Amino acid sequence: MPADPATSSTGNEHARMLRDSVADFVKRGTDIKRVRRLRETQPGFERPVWQQMAQFGWLGILVPEAYGGLGLGCTEMAIVAAGTASALTPEPLTAAAVLAAGAIMRSDNETLKRELLESLVAGASIPALAWQENAGVIDATQCTVRAEPFEAAIKLNGGKKFIAGAAGADGFVVSAQSPEGLTLYWVPAGSSGVTLDLQPLADGRTTGTLQLNDVVVPPSHVLASAACAREALEGAIDTTLVMAGAEMGGVMGRALDMSVDYMKTRVQFGKPIGSFQALAHRAVDLHIQRELSSAVLDDAVALFDAGVTGTRRSSMASRVKARCSEAGLRITREAIQIHGAIGFTDEYDAGLYLKRALTLSAWLGNAAQHRRRYAELAVTHE
Amino acid sequence: MTPPDFNALGDDDFRARVREFFAQHYPPHLRFVLRRARLAEMKAWYLTLSRHGWIAPNWPREYGGMGLDTGKMIILLEETERYGVSRVPDHGIVQVGPILMKYGTPGQQQFYLPKILTGEHIWGQGYSEPNAGSDLASLATSAVPDGDDFIVNGQKIWTTLAHDSTHIYLLARTSREGKKQEGISFLLVDAASPGITIRPIRNIAGHEEFCEVFFDNVRVPQANLVGGLNKGWTVAKALLSFERINIGSPRRPQYALKRLEQLAHAKGLFEDPGFVDKFTALELDLADLGSLYARYVEVVKRGEELGQEVSMLKIWAMEAWQRLTDLLIETAHEYGGMPGEHSMDGVDVDVLSPFYYARPGTIYGGSSEIQRNILAKYVLKLPS
Ligand SMILES: Cc1cc2nc3c(=O)[nH]c(=O)nc-3n(C[C@H](O)[C@H](O)[C@H](O)COP(=O)(O)OP(=O)(O)OC[C@H]3O[C@@H](n4cnc5c(N)ncnc54)[C@H](O)[C@@H]3O)c2cc1C
Repeated sequence: MPADPATSSTGNEHARMLRDSVADFVKRGTDIKRVRRLRETQPGFERPVWQQMAQFGWLGILVPEAYGGLGLGCTEMAIVAAGTASALTPEPLTAAAVLAAGAIMRSDNETLKRELLESLVAGASIPALAWQENAGVIDATQCTVRAEPFEAAIKLNGGKKFIAGAAGADGFVVSAQSPEGLTLYWVPAGSSGVTLDLQPLADGRTTGTLQLNDVVVPPSHVLASAACAREALEGAIDTTLVMAGAEMGGVMGRALDMSVDYMKTRVQFGKPIGSFQALAHRAVDLHIQRELSSAVLDDAVALFDAGVTGTRRSSMASRVKARCSEAGLRITREAIQIHGAIGFTDEYDAGLYLKRALTLSAWLGNAAQHRRRYAELAVTHE
Repeated sequence: MTPPDFNALGDDDFRARVREFFAQHYPPHLRFVLRRARLAEMKAWYLTLSRHGWIAPNWPREYGGMGLDTGKMIILLEETERYGVSRVPDHGIVQVGPILMKYGTPGQQQFYLPKILTGEHIWGQGYSEPNAGSDLASLATSAVPDGDDFIVNGQKIWTTLAHDSTHIYLLARTSREGKKQEGISFLLVDAASPGITIRPIRNIAGHEEFCEVFFDNVRVPQANLVGGLNKGWTVAKALLSFERINIGSPRRPQYALKRLEQLAHAKGLFEDPGFVDKFTALELDLADLGSLYARYVEVVKRGEELGQEVSMLKIWAMEAWQRLTDLLIETAHEYGGMPGEHSMDGVDVDVLSPFYYARPGTIYGGSSEIQRNILAKYVLKLPS
């Protein structure tokens, strides 16, 4: 079973329906052949599938009803994130509907916010969040892109890196330092002065690098003023860390299931290899890692849905990302070992799971970075 | 053309000779290729080595090898690794040559050995099958006598560089009686024989290096049998002592270690006690492997047989290599999820290639689990 954050909230009708729609989608709408076909292509996903996700309501799970969304919580989003990731779905679901949407939702330009969220939820427009500038940084306040007054508008200069879901994005939420402080701007893709480069990720998708050269932004595209921009980014990032953990849960769950199945059927020395205690104990250790991951994830979604804020929220997010990244990488690495040579082939799916785990682990900080962040937050908390 | 007696040189002189040779002859664009290089890329280097009498360092001089003693072999391999010289397709040199010297008929030796030296014959190893991996003795590819030939039917898999090989050395079943190991024969097969189909298999690093090889009524002359009928298991297991320790040498992980060190310096990580401990633990894992390795090298130098305990070198070398590439990925942060070479804090590193290629080290050549079984049984003498 993939990590299933909703087992604790049985009776939740939304959760049940979402689980069904995810199971159904994974079974029919997407398959590993499609995942393989879309690897190393651009944008690396399919708009019709994105539309389908919109119809299921997935893109608006976290978006308040007043803005066209379902107004549900992390519990429900985690079900979809884990389910789609377990099938290695390449659509930028968490990048757009959690990370970018999270920043937009917490912004204070009501008109723009409504417009962006409604078109996101409808599947019409895909936003991406461009906040990071250097590798290894989880701190949203480390921002050097400059926003300067220019005639009646604003001019942006600088660069952003590691933008998830940049391929195929219709626009970018860009953080910049304005004279008032950290501010968020909406920059439609293809605006004059904007250059987007895509670099391959291990799992066959891409990450974006954005160059902004004298990009002119009208005042109506100031999405979040300095009064709320920082909290918008930090809230979005913390929520995404938890959802990346849920995705990792889906990945590790499928990789472990696949390995355990293989241990039951692969025969060497006249016995299923699962009967060799060295492998059996290994599989049990991996199962423990999976359960630890799903337990911390359960706690996290409950805490987030109860409205946790500040340092407690960030600590919890780091706990999830640390555990899930560590466990996900370990399980997918061991999946190769358990399979032997066939696990090292591109034709077999175990490698695809390892590569998604590598990608998810490196996104927004790996296990080591989040253990450190957790420790630093604990110190400041005292 | 008899090459000089390198063993007569002092170690330092020999090392200098090797360095000079590489600097002079090795194609710079092939340094530190982080995958298994293909024959087309390596052919010119193969021929260069061949022309200078350097292609078979492990072979005695009377067979056209360099005849290096163990100490000189180690120096050569250290320098190979240090300079980033890629492996040529070397199964003929490392496996077939020594096997034929020990078990081959004079006719087989005279025919095959010179062609390995010149690169006319390139060999691939056809041992594993879909249902015979760790349990190699259960292999099912059959060789049935028919006149002067055997008729071979079956399938081999994971045959490294079969698509670059002119020949395949094969373990095939010639008897179904008695112990499984006692019904296996060692055959030399021309890869161009009718009935052989080779299909490359892409690995997770994206390269086609190993293959499936199908045998459909392939005729192999009985004269190509090595070591006698049903004696193939003995032939295949009689690896020279040196080859058995070589796979456990501490050299393999050097690229990853060096890049990790450079990267850590560039990122200022040696100011970070948490990182210093992780890095040093790995550095010492490899340094101590070096000490253990040297101990076995001495055994070989004295001309003594190595026992089963040599399995521990391979376990430790391969698993330390994996841990090292895990730390490389971790240290690369976002780039740990991005293939290819990237400039990180001014250091150019490809972190995923070493990570991918460290994975099968615990699978091929006897998996880590199998090596542990061997140690438990033969060294600790635990009941099984
Ligand atoms: C990169 C690469 C190159 C290779 N090149 C060649 C080549 O050129 N020629 C060739 O003939 N072969 C080659 N091989 C094949 C290699 O020898 C086999 O992969 C190896 O023998 C393991 O067999 P398997 O892959 O079928 O795994 P399996 O034997 O099916 O093993 C699967 C898992 O079960 C474990 N296991 C099996 N038995 C036991 C046991 N008794 N106790 C505990 N655990 C156990 C294994 O350790 C492994 O984790 C290559 C393999 C790789 C990965």
